[in-house]
Amino acid sequence: MAAPSRKVFEVFVSKVPWTVAVKEMKEYFGQFGQVKKCLLPFDKETGFHRGFCWVSFSTEEGLNNTLQKELHVLEGSKLQVQKNRRPFGRKSNNGFD
Amino acid sequence: MAALLRSARLLKFSPLGLRQITGTKRTGPPLSRLYSGTLGVRRAGVLSRHNRPGVENTPSHAWPHATVCVHHFSVATEKKDEISVVVRSKQAQNFDWALSKLDSSVRRTGRITKTLLLRIFHDVCRTGYPSGNQALLLLRSCGALLPEMGLQERTELAHRIWERLQELGAQYDVSHYNALLKVYLQNEFNFSPMDFLAKMETANVQPNRVTYQRLIAAYCQNGDIEGASAILGFMKTKDLPITEAVFNALVTGHARSGDIESAKNILSVMRGAGIDPGPDTYVSLLNGYAEKGDLDSLKKTLEEAESADFSLVDRDIMQVIFTLAKAGHQQHVPEIMEHLRQDRGYIPDAMNLCLSLVTQGLDETAFTVLRTFSMLQSEDYYGDSDNLGSFFLRHCINMDTPLEKIGRYCAELQDSKMHTTPLNFVLSCALEAKKTDVSFEVMKMMQEQNLPIRPHYFWPLLTQHVKDNNVAGAMEVMKGMQKLGVTPDLETISNYVYPVFPSTEAARQAFKEAGIIVELEGLLTSKIRFLASSNLGRLYTLLSDPSHPPVDLGSFRSSLIHGFRKFDDIECMVKLTKLLYDDERFTKPGVTTAETVSYLLYNLIDGMQATEVQEQEDKLRNYFNQLKAENIIIPANIYKGIRNILESYHVPELLKDVLVLVDPADVVSSGPRVTGLEANVSALENKLAELKEENKPLSSTLKQAIQALASEECLQRALELKQKYEDQMKAGAYAILISLCCRHNNVDEALSLKREMSRKDSSAKLDAGKYMALIKLLAKSDRVEEAVDLLKEMKENDVVLNSSHSSMLFHTLNAVVYKGGGAPAIQRLQDTIFTLGLAKPTANLCAPLISVYLKSDDLPGALEAALECQKRYGQLPRIHDIIVGLVEKGDTELLQKAMDVVSQERGEMTMLYYLLFAFLQTGRYREARKIIETPGLRARPGRLQWYAEKCILTQQMEPLEQMVDMTSKLFECDRDEMYSYIFRLCKETNNWQKAEATWTKMQEENVIPRERTLRLLAEVLKNNGQEVPFEVPETFLQDEQEANTPQVKTAAPSFKDTENGAQYQVRLISLCKKGKANEAFAMLKETDKRGVAVGPACYDHLIRALLAGGAIEDAMAVRDIAVSRVPGFQLSDIANSLVIVTQSKRGQAQDALETLKSMLQQDQIPSQLAITRLVQTLGSLGNLDGIKEVMSQMERLGTSLNLSNMLFINNMALAHIKKGDLESAVEMLEEVYTSSENRNSSMSFVFRKILMEENDKAVDKLSAMAERLANHFACYRPATDLFLQLLEMDKVEDAKYMLARINALAEQKESLVSYLARMSQQPGQTGKIKTLQSLIPDFVEKEVLFTYLMKSHVADNDLPSARALYQRMQEEGVVADELSLKRLAVLYRQAGEMPPFPEPPESFRFYAAKLKERAVKAQPADE
Repeated sequence: MAAPSRKVFEVFVSKVPWTVAVKEMKEYFGQFGQVKKCLLPFDKETGFHRGFCWVSFSTEEGLNNTLQKELHVLEGSKLQVQKNRRPFGRKSNNGFD
Repeated sequence: MAALLRSARLLKFSPLGLRQITGTKRTGPPLSRLYSGTLGVRRAGVLSRHNRPGVENTPSHAWPHATVCVHHFSVATEKKDEISVVVRSKQAQNFDWALSKLDSSVRRTGRITKTLLLRIFHDVCRTGYPSGNQALLLLRSCGALLPEMGLQERTELAHRIWERLQELGAQYDVSHYNALLKVYLQNEFNFSPMDFLAKMETANVQPNRVTYQRLIAAYCQNGDIEGASAILGFMKTKDLPITEAVFNALVTGHARSGDIESAKNILSVMRGAGIDPGPDTYVSLLNGYAEKGDLDSLKKTLEEAESADFSLVDRDIMQVIFTLAKAGHQQHVPEIMEHLRQDRGYIPDAMNLCLSLVTQGLDETAFTVLRTFSMLQSEDYYGDSDNLGSFFLRHCINMDTPLEKIGRYCAELQDSKMHTTPLNFVLSCALEAKKTDVSFEVMKMMQEQNLPIRPHYFWPLLTQHVKDNNVAGAMEVMKGMQKLGVTPDLETISNYVYPVFPSTEAARQAFKEAGIIVELEGLLTSKIRFLASSNLGRLYTLLSDPSHPPVDLGSFRSSLIHGFRKFDDIECMVKLTKLLYDDERFTKPGVTTAETVSYLLYNLIDGMQATEVQEQEDKLRNYFNQLKAENIIIPANIYKGIRNILESYHVPELLKDVLVLVDPADVVSSGPRVTGLEANVSALENKLAELKEENKPLSSTLKQAIQALASEECLQRALELKQKYEDQMKAGAYAILISLCCRHNNVDEALSLKREMSRKDSSAKLDAGKYMALIKLLAKSDRVEEAVDLLKEMKENDVVLNSSHSSMLFHTLNAVVYKGGGAPAIQRLQDTIFTLGLAKPTANLCAPLISVYLKSDDLPGALEAALECQKRYGQLPRIHDIIVGLVEKGDTELLQKAMDVVSQERGEMTMLYYLLFAFLQTGRYREARKIIETPGLRARPGRLQWYAEKCILTQQMEPLEQMVDMTSKLFECDRDEMYSYIFRLCKETNNWQKAEATWTKMQEENVIPRERTLRLLAEVLKNNGQEVPFEVPETFLQDEQEANTPQVKTAAPSFKDTENGAQYQVRLISLCKKGKANEAFAMLKETDKRGVAVGPACYDHLIRALLAGGAIEDAMAVRDIAVSRVPGFQLSDIANSLVIVTQSKRGQAQDALETLKSMLQQDQIPSQLAITRLVQTLGSLGNLDGIKEVMSQMERLGTSLNLSNMLFINNMALAHIKKGDLESAVEMLEEVYTSSENRNSSMSFVFRKILMEENDKAVDKLSAMAERLANHFACYRPATDLFLQLLEMDKVEDAKYMLARINALAEQKESLVSYLARMSQQPGQTGKIKTLQSLIPDFVEKEVLFTYLMKSHVADNDLPSARALYQRMQEEGVVADELSLKRLAVLYRQAGEMPPFPEPPESFRFYAAKLKERAVKAQPADE
C-alpha cells in the first residue's frame, strides 16, 4: 500500500487573501518558475475560497526559489508558504467536500 | 405603612427615607409576595459590588472556562445499557457543547454573535426538552453580551427564548427570573417591577435578595425613587442586608430623577451606614453627570475616585464614554478618554464599546475610540494580528452606516497605516452579508482608487441565487457586473450562473435579452463526452486549456475508454493520459492523479474483451511504452489488478510493459516470526530436578522458578532454591532475589546477595528500581554513608532513573525527615543525588530539606536553605509555607528578602500570588484584596486551584470564601470553577446553608453554573435533607450516586392530593430517571383518570423511560394520553429514535422505517444508534430496498450523523447473503475495496454475522474474496478483519491457516493494535491477546503489548498475573507508563495490599491525557 513516489515540486500556501483567484496566484508564483498547476478550492456555499492553495512547479528550481524567499506578500497580505510533503490530497476527506 | 417606615432604619439619614409612599396601585395584590414567603438567605456575608445598572460592558471573566468534554475518555470499563446512556448523556453533552461554544466566544472577544446564539437556541429546541441550565445560559446571553444587536431586539430575543423554552417544558426557578431581570437592566427595558413580581408569584417562585436588588435598580433606571423605596422597605422587613449594589442603584435613581445633589449625597449616607463607596458607586455618579454633560463635575468626581482607596478600571471609564455619547455630548468624549489606562484586556473591551456605539448609530464616537488602537499596534506590519479596525468596518456594513462615512473611515485607517486593505475588507463584508447594492457601490469606490475588480468577487452574491434558482437575482448581478465593466469568466458562468437556468439555451436567451455579452462556448460535460468518444485531438485542446474548469474524470470516463478502445490516435491518448496525470482538475479531491490514471488503465483493459486485447497487443504496448517515456508511474497494487486481467486474457507478454510503470520502491515484504513460551511454578521445579539429573544447563529455568516464587512473595523458599542450585545462579535471578529481600525489609541479606552476584559476574548490574529500594532501606536505618556509596555506584554503572524513581527518591528523603534525621544527613543525600546527576533537582526533591527546618520552627534556616536551592538548582521548595511563617511572625525584613528573590527569579506575578496566599492563609484579607487589585494581575487557574484544593483538604472555609469573593473581577478568572470549590468544601462539611447562600451570590454575580456545579449543590442540599429548588441536570452516573448516598426523602409512589402539580411532575420525572418507568406509568395512569395533566416534558420523559425498557405499547399509551391533554404533542427526537430502536429490535423493520420517515418530515434528527439498528435489522431480514431507502433518506438529511459508509454496505452485503445471492454480495464488496477511498473500511460486522450463523458457504466465498483482494490488490483490510474475527471467536486453527496463506497479515499493525486495545477492555480476554501474540510475536512494541496486557489483567481483576507481568516488565527493562502503574496500584489496593511502588498521585484521566498528548507530540509535524 505504499504511495507512488514521484518527484513533486509543490508548495502549500495558506492565508491567501480573498481578493485573489487562481489567475493571480499563478501570476505571483510564476516569478519563481513555471507553475504547472494551482489548486485553490472555493466553497460553493459561500462563494469565497477557503484561504489555502497548492501550487506545483515544473522544476525543482521553481520550488527552491519560492522557498528561499522569506516573505511572500500578495495584495497586502503575508502568505504562509511551506513545502508540501504529501502530494495533493493523499488521504480522503482532507478538507474538501 | 407605618411598620414599613419603622423597619427602614438604615435609611433614616437619607432624605428619601422620609418620602411618603402613597397608596398606589403598587400596593395591590403582588405586594403580598413581599411580605410572605421565607428566604433561605440570612446574610450573604461579604458585600459585593458587582451589580451595575445601565449599560455595562461585558466582564470578560464572567464565564466559566470550558471543560474539555471527557466523556470518551472514561476509564471505567463496565458495560451499560447503551440506550439509557444515550438518553442521559445527550442533554449533558449538548449543554457542555453550547457552554464551551459560548464561553470560548466570550473569553476571546467578550461578546457573542447573534448567529451563534440563535444557532444554539435552535439546537436546544430541536434536541428535545431543554434543561433549566440551558435556559439560564441562553437567557443570560441576551444582554450586554450582544453589543452588535439593538437593545430592543435583545429584549425581544430574551422573551422569545423565555416563552419557547417554557413551552418545551423548561422549569424556571429564581435564578432564571433574576437572569431575566439582569437582561432587562442591561437592555434598559421599560417594565413594571410589580407585574414582574406578580408573574413570579403566579409561577410560585420565591424572590430572593438578588431579585429585590435588581427591582430597585429597575425603578432607579427610570428615576422612580418612590418605587425603589417601597422595595427597600420590604427588604428591611425581611432583614435582608442592604448591600453596596442597592446604594449604587439609588445614586442612579436620584440622578435620573434630576436630583444630582441627592445622588451625590448617597455617598455620605453609605459611609454613615458603614459601607465604603466602591468603584461602581462612582461609576453610577459619573454616569449621572455624563447624562447631563457636566464636564467639570465629571472631572472632579474622577479625581475624587482616583484619590480613593481604589482606582477605576478602563471598563468603568468606557461606561461613562458610552453614556456621554448616547446623551449627545460627544464633544466631551476625548477628554474622558484621556483617563483610559489601556491596561491588559483593553482591546476586547474597547472593541465592544465601539460595537455598542455603532449599533446605536454613534459611529463617529466609535471611530474616535478606534483611533486609540493605533498606539497599541504591533511592530510587524504584516503580522498575524488582524488588520486594526476590521471589526468596526464589518459592523458598520451590518448596521447600514452610510457608505460615504465608511469610505472616510477607510481612507483614514489606510493613511494611518492601521489597515492595509480596508476597502477590500469592506467589500468582503458586504458580500458576506449578501448586500448586493452596497457591494456594487463599494466596488465603484474601489475602481475609483484603481483597485482591480475580479470576476470571483461576484460569486458570493450569486451563491444564494443558485440555491434558490433565482433567475432574476442572478441576472441582476450579471447586469451589475457588466456596468462595472467586468467580463464574466468561464467559471462564473458555469458554476454560478448556468445552474440557475433550466438549460444553457435559456441562459443564452436571457443574456441576449438583457444585453449581456458572454463569449463562452457551452462547456458542459456533454461536449466533453462527445469529444472523448469522437475526437481525442479536440478533446485534448479543450481540456489542456488552463482556464478550463475542473471536471471529474468520472463524468466522462466511459466515453474516454470508448474513444481509447479505437486505438486510432495513440499520440493523443498519451497526451490525454499525461494531462490527467499532471493536472488535478480532473481528479476528485482526496484521490491522487496517479490513482486516477492507474484506475483508468485498469478500467481500459478491464473494459476490453480478451480477443480485443490480443488484437491490439502492439498498440497497447506502444501506448504503455510512451507512458513510460512520459514518466507516468502507477501503484503496485493496481498493477497486480492489471496483471490478473492480462493473465486471464492470456496476454502475459504485455506484463513487462506494464510492470515498468510501477515504482521500483513500491514493494511489499514480510517480516520474521518467533514463538514464545509460558511458565508455571511447580512444573518448573520438576523440570529443574530433571535437568539437574541430566546434567544440563538450567539457569534460565532456575530464574523462572525464582521469579514465580517471588511473585508469590515466598522469600524463604526462593532463598532455599538459590542455595540448592547456587552454581547455576545468574545475575537476573539475583536481581529478583534482591528486590524480594528489599520488599521484606531484609537489607543485610540483600546486600550480601548483591556482593555474591558481583563476585560471580563482575559485569552484572542492578537496575534503578532495585538500587532505589536498597538505598531507601539504608537511609531509613540511618546508614547514610552506605546509601551515598550506593548512589555513587549507580552513577558509575550508568543507571538511568525515570520519573517514578525520582518520586522514590523523594519518599526516601522524606522518610529520613520523619525518622528524625537532621538536616546534614538529608543535605548529604540530596547533594550526592544532584551532583552525580542521578535526578534533576525539582522542588519536590528539595522539599524534605526545608521540612527539617520548618519542623524545628527555624524560619531563617528554612529560607536560607530554600534560597540556596534556588541559587544552585533553580528551585524554591515549600516557599509558600516559609512565606506564611514569615507573615505570621511579622518578620518584614526576611519577607522582603524572600519576595525580592521570588520576584527576580519567577517574575512579579508569581511573587504576588505567593503573597496573596500567605495573606489569605493568615487571615489578612484586606492586604490580600490589595494584591488582587494590582493592575495587570490576571487569573492563573493552576495557582488558584492549588490554593483552593489546599483549603478544601484542610477544611478552611473562610480563606477560600474570601479568595472566591475577591477574585470576582480578576481578569480571566473562571467564576464557576471558583464557586465550585466552595460547594466542594460545603459537601465535605455538610454545610448546606453556606451552599445555598453561595448559589444566591452566583446569581448576583451573574455566573452560569456548569451542570457539574449544580449537581454538586443539589447533592449538598439533598444530603442534608433540604429541598432542591431547581431542576437537577441529568447525569448518567446518577445511578451509582444514588445507590451510594442514602436517600433522605423517599416519596411513596402515589399521588397525594396535597401535592401540587409541579412537585408531582418532579416526582414522576425522578422515578423515570431512576429507571422505575413502570411505577411512573402506573402513577400517571391513576392520576390521569382523575383528570390531572402534566407538562409535555414530563410525558416525554416517561415515554423515553418506557422505551428504554422496550415497553413500546405502554409508551404509545402514554403518547395517546399526552395527545389528549396537550394539543399538538409530539414525541421528541430522542423518543422517536428510541421507538425506531425498539421496533428494529423486535424485527418490525417496516414500522421502524415509517417512524423514520415521519421523523424526517417533522424536521427531527434521528440518533445514530436508531439508524444503525434499523439498517442492521433490514440487513438481517434481507431487505435490500429498505436499506437503500434509509440511505437516500439520510443523504437528503443534509447533516451527517457520523454514520459509517460501511454500515450500509455491510448490511446490504448481509441482505444479499440472506437472500442467498452470494455473488452480488461479493461483487459489491469487491467494488468497495478496489475503489481507493474505502480501502481501509471495516467489514468485521459481516464476518461476525456469517461466522455466528455458521453459514459456511458464505464464509468460503467471502474469505476467498478477502484473499483475492489481499493478494491481487494489496488490500488487506477484509482479510485482517476475518483473521481477527476468527481469533475473537476462538477459531485459532482457521486463523493460523489464513496467516500462513497471507503473510502480510502480520504487518497490519494498526488493525492488530486496535484489536488488542478492544480485547484489553473486556474481562476474560487475556487468552485471546496471548493467542494473537503467540501467532504473531513481534507485531507490536513490547511497551504497547505490556500496557494492554496490564489493562487486561486489571479488567480481569487478576492481581497475581498483573504482578508477574510487572515483574517481567522490570526484568525486560520495559518502563511501565504512569497509567499502567496507576491501574496496577488500584488493583493492589482493592486486594488490600500495598503496591511495591509509589502510586502515581493524579487521576486516571490525568495520565490518560498525558499519554495522549505524548502520542500527539510524537507524530511528525506535517501530519
